[in-house]
Amino acid sequence: MKVDSFHTLILPLREKLFRHALGIVRDRAEAEDILQDLLLKLWSRREEWEEIDNPEAYCYRAIRNMSLDRLAVASNRKSAWSSVEEEEKNLIDSESPHSRLVRKEQHALIAHCIAQLPERQQTLFRLREIEEMSYRQIADTLQISEELVKVTLFRARKKLQELLSGEALKEKSRMGTSLDQNER
Amino acid sequence: MDKEMKRDLIIELLNKYWNCETNLAEEQELRRLFAEEELPEELQRYAPLFSYIEEEQAPRLSAGFEQRLQESLRKADTAVVPKHMPRRTRLMRIAASILLLVGMGVSLYFITRQQNNPQYAESGKADSEVWEQATDALEKLADALRLSEEASRETLRQLNAMEIDWEMIDSLNSETAAAGRDPDVETEDAGELFHSGDTIQEGVTTGYPESINEEEKI
Repeated sequence: MKVDSFHTLILPLREKLFRHALGIVRDRAEAEDILQDLLLKLWSRREEWEEIDNPEAYCYRAIRNMSLDRLAVASNRKSAWSSVEEEEKNLIDSESPHSRLVRKEQHALIAHCIAQLPERQQTLFRLREIEEMSYRQIADTLQISEELVKVTLFRARKKLQELLSGEALKEKSRMGTSLDQNER
Repeated sequence: MDKEMKRDLIIELLNKYWNCETNLAEEQELRRLFAEEELPEELQRYAPLFSYIEEEQAPRLSAGFEQRLQESLRKADTAVVPKHMPRRTRLMRIAASILLLVGMGVSLYFITRQQNNPQYAESGKADSEVWEQATDALEKLADALRLSEEASRETLRQLNAMEIDWEMIDSLNSETAAAGRDPDVETEDAGELFHSGDTIQEGVTTGYPESINEEEKI
């Protein structure tokens, strides 16, 4: 049964968990490493699974915590190199270098803002926006009510709306220039 | 689409989006609209959010990940094997104690039956004789209990001695299984079970006297 639920329940989550980790550590190799660590840990402790009442929610929390730990350890030595390369690969070539840079700054600002949200809002935002899960699916995954899913997501989106519509514009330009200097 | 109309559509969708009233398809549509070139000036500031989401959706695990994962899972598996042992021995212990209880029950049954028959016939005998008989019977019972206790202790000791053998043999088995052909974790598990079944049988038939000897030495 445990072997089964590892294959039917946990393994199918791997792409989502990977993007979850990637959203935090911003480095593909690192994110894959963290995911492998997590899956390995779950596999070798499958005897104890009955004590975990909601493996999916547990996985999202675990990958988040592991990623934040890694980030804390790596933050000192990590340069911006990998993420710069990454984003350049993702962007369309027709874009001018300037608009590419601007967009990169904007994305950094949004990522920064999302990182400031409470844990549940962050997880929920990612599950809805990036993994495109329905409210029902999210409620089942995190074992909370659909109502709470909506309320939490509403708060997260409101924050981002505030950020983007004015209030943060000043901050954006401030952050933008500081990022700009870092780049050069 | 008319520019005006498009603007209205985006604004309407966007308002629904902030209020969490959009469904997944509408959210997709919103991302698509925001990705288009000629976006009304006042809406441009929201574009980064949707392009950010789109960008975050894209990454996939690299091709080599699956293989690396399977390898490390298999490695972890061989390390975990000893963990399986206590459960098997626990089962054997339960079986042994059931055997002990049954043994006691059977011996009790025979002893009391032996006693019962004469008691009816000799009910008129002297007190001392009855007393003698009773102590005799109790002694027999005590002997039988001691014997069965000793026997079950011996069984437990042998089981313990055998457990050591199993672990060794099992780790040998899993090592060969890991070194050899089987890449699939599940079938490897099944194979392991099969092998350990074999070793139990061997232990019972051939390893029996050996383990007693070992016990005596200790």
